Amino acid sequence: MAKRSSLIARTISTLIILILLLIAIAVVTKLVGSRPFERTVVEMFIRVMLVAGLYIFVGNSGVISFGHIGFMCLGAYAAAWFTIPPAMKGVSLPGLPSFLAHAQLHFLVSAALAGLLAAIFALIVGRIMMRLSGIAASIATFAMLAVINTVYSNWDSVTGGTGSIVGIPFNTGIWTALGGAILVVIIAYLYQISRSGLALRAGRDEATAAAASGIDIVRERLIAFVISAFTIGVAGALYAHFLGVVNPDAFYLGVTFITLSMLVVGGMNSLSGAVLGVIVISTIIQLLRWLEKGIDLGGTTIAIPNGLQEIAIGLVMIVILMFRPSGLTRNRELVWRYWPFGKGSVNGVAVSKTIENVR
Amino acid sequence: MSRVKTLALAAAFGTLIAQTAWADDIVVGFATAESGFMQAYDKPAQDAAMIRIDEINKAGGLLGKQIKVVTADTKTDRAEGAKAGLEVLDKGAELVIVSCDYDFGSPAALAAEAAGKVSFFLCAESIKAGIPGVGPHSFSASVLAAVQGATMAEWAYNKRNARNFYRLLDTWTVYNKGICDGFDWQLPHLKDAKLVGSDTFKNEDASIASQISRIKALPQEPDAIMLCTMMPGAVSAVKQIRAAGIKAPIINGSGMDGSYWLSAVPDLSNFYVPVQGSIYGDDPNPAVNAFNKKYKEVTGGDPSSQYVYPGYVLIDVWAKAVERAKTTDADAVVAELEKMKGEQTLFGPRTFTNEIHHQNTGRYLIVETDKGKPHVIDQWTISEPIPVADLLKQ
Repeated sequence: MAKRSSLIARTISTLIILILLLIAIAVVTKLVGSRPFERTVVEMFIRVMLVAGLYIFVGNSGVISFGHIGFMCLGAYAAAWFTIPPAMKGVSLPGLPSFLAHAQLHFLVSAALAGLLAAIFALIVGRIMMRLSGIAASIATFAMLAVINTVYSNWDSVTGGTGSIVGIPFNTGIWTALGGAILVVIIAYLYQISRSGLALRAGRDEATAAAASGIDIVRERLIAFVISAFTIGVAGALYAHFLGVVNPDAFYLGVTFITLSMLVVGGMNSLSGAVLGVIVISTIIQLLRWLEKGIDLGGTTIAIPNGLQEIAIGLVMIVILMFRPSGLTRNRELVWRYWPFGKGSVNGVAVSKTIENVR
Repeated sequence: MSRVKTLALAAAFGTLIAQTAWADDIVVGFATAESGFMQAYDKPAQDAAMIRIDEINKAGGLLGKQIKVVTADTKTDRAEGAKAGLEVLDKGAELVIVSCDYDFGSPAALAAEAAGKVSFFLCAESIKAGIPGVGPHSFSASVLAAVQGATMAEWAYNKRNARNFYRLLDTWTVYNKGICDGFDWQLPHLKDAKLVGSDTFKNEDASIASQISRIKALPQEPDAIMLCTMMPGAVSAVKQIRAAGIKAPIINGSGMDGSYWLSAVPDLSNFYVPVQGSIYGDDPNPAVNAFNKKYKEVTGGDPSSQYVYPGYVLIDVWAKAVERAKTTDADAVVAELEKMKGEQTLFGPRTFTNEIHHQNTGRYLIVETDKGKPHVIDQWTISEPIPVADLLKQ
C-alpha cells in the first residue's frame, strides 16, 4: 500500500496539470470567444473525451483499435432513445420497445446509461475479441465498427436507418463538455495507475514476462476495453446533445481516423499525449479554417483555398511524426518539475518508466 | 495558452467588424458547403439564389434596403454546419439558407430555429426538412421526393399505359426511399395497376446481376421500372439493366436529371425523369430558358441539373413574403409564406401551409431521354396531393 500511495503522489501532478489546462481553455473561451468559437471548443472537449477514452485501451494495451467510434455510435443513439420527447419518437422510431418509447430521462442519467450500454456491449464482444492480439485484434475492432455501422444504417424502425434522428435536446454546453472531459481524464488516470492498468502496461511491453508473472493479459485487456467503451459511450451521448441530430455516418471512418491521429500525434502511450494531441490538432485545424476564410492584414486579405485545410492537417501530422515518431510528448507525461511529493517526477520521468521502476 | 487566447481574440474581433458593417441592409446568410462533396449540390443552387438576389437589388432592393449576403462554410460536416449557422446569425442574418441535404443542412437550420430566424433548405426533398425535423420557421424550396415517385407512376399509367410496375430501390439514402414511398402511395390509386415485383440494391454495389435476373425471370417484361436511386451508383445500374436487354421504360426521381452522365450509357432510350425546369433549352416557359442563359453568363457554365432552380425559387418566395409582411421579422414572414397557395414561380407553383413547409404536390416537366438525347415531352401534376399524415409515416 505504501508504494501505491507514493505512485499517486508522484504522478498526480500530471492529472492536475491536464485538468487545469482544460479549465483554463474553457474560461478563456467563455471570456473572449464568439459563439461559433465556443462550439469549436465544446467539440474539442468531446474529442478529449474520445481520445482519452481511446487511450485507456490503446495506450495501456498497445492494441490499436479502429472500433471505438462504434461505442460512440451506441452512446449517441442511446441518448437519442432516452431523451427525445415520446410524441416524436412514436412517429420517427416506431420500432422502439415500449419502455424506451415512453422514456424521457434527464440527459445526465441518459448519458450514464448510454455509457453503460456501450460498456455492456464491449464486455460481450470483448470476451471474444480480446483473445486476439496485434494486427488481428485491430482488424477485429474494425470489423466491429463496420458491423455496428451497418446495423444502425439499416435497422430503420429503431435507428431511423441512414436518415438523421432529430429532436435530441441541446444540453451540452461548454461547462458540460468540460465536465465530461475532466471526468474521462480522471478515469483514464485512475485506470493507468490501478493494478489492472499497471498489469496491462506490463503485458504491453513484455507479454511473455508479464504472463510468466501471473498476469492474465486477456482479462486485463477486457477490463480496459470495457472502461474505455463506457467513456466513449458517454462522449457519444454528449455529442448527440451537442449537435441535436444523430446519423450513423457521423460515427464512422472520419471520426475514427481523426481521433486516432490525435492520439498518435500526441503520443500514444501517455495520457498527456492523448489530451495534448487533441488540443494541438484542434488548434491547427482552427487556424487553418481561419486562414481559409481569409485573414485581413492591413487591407490585403490572405486566404488559402477552401478544402486545403484537410490536406494541410495531413502534412502537419506527417511532419510532426517525422520529427517526433513517438508523438509530441514522446510518450511521457507532463509533470510539474517542482512537485514536492515524490522524487520520481523531478526529472520529468515518464509515468510508464516510473511504473516500471515500481514493478 | 497564449496561442488560444490570441486566436479567440482574433475571432471576437472578426465578429465585431462583421456585425457593424451591415447596419442598414437586410442580411441573408448562406451556411452551405463551400468544400467537400455537398459543394457539388450546394454551389449551383446558391449561384441561382445569388442571381435572384442580384435581380432584387438592381430593382431597388427589399423594403427599400439592399440585400447583403454573408456566407460560412459547413465543409460538408455536421458539427461545422451548426457553427456555420451560428456564424451567419452572428453576422445579422435574417434568413439562413442551409445545405441541400437534410442530414447536412439540419444542424445549421436548428441553430437558426433556436435563434428564431427563418431557415430554408436549398433543395432538400425529405419531409423532415421543415416543421417535423427543424421547427415552425424552417422551409425547403424544392419538392418532396415522394411527389417525384408519385408523379412518375401516375404519368406512366396514363401516358404510357403502364399497368405492371416493377420497383427497384437503392437503400442508400432517405431520398431514394422517399421516391419509392411516393410510388407506393400512388400505386393503389391507379385502377388495375399492380406491382409485379420489387427488389433492393445498394448504391455502391458493383453488380446488380441478381436483381436483373429476377426481372428477366418474370413471365413478361414489366411495363415500367420505377428506379429509386441517385448518383453515382445510378449510372451503373441503368447501364446494367439496358445491357441485359431489358427495354422497359425506366422511370426515375429528379436525381437522374442532367446529361453529364449520359455518355456512360450510349444511346439510352425510354428513360424518363421528372424536372421542375428544363436545363436542355426547351422549357415551355421562355423565362426559364432566359434564366439558363443568364446562369451561363454569371457562372460560365450551363446548369448541370434541375437542382439549380430551387435556389432561385427560395429567394423569390422569401422576398415576396417579406414585401407582403413589410418586415423581416421571422413570425410575420412565416405567416405570409403560409398564405401562399399555388404561388407562381419560374419553376412551378409553391404552396405552404401551417402543416407542411414543403411541396406535397407540384407540376413536373417530364424529360425523356431518347437515343441519348434528353428533351421535354410532357408535364404532369399528380391528381391529389400526398396527405401529410402519409408523408410523416414514411
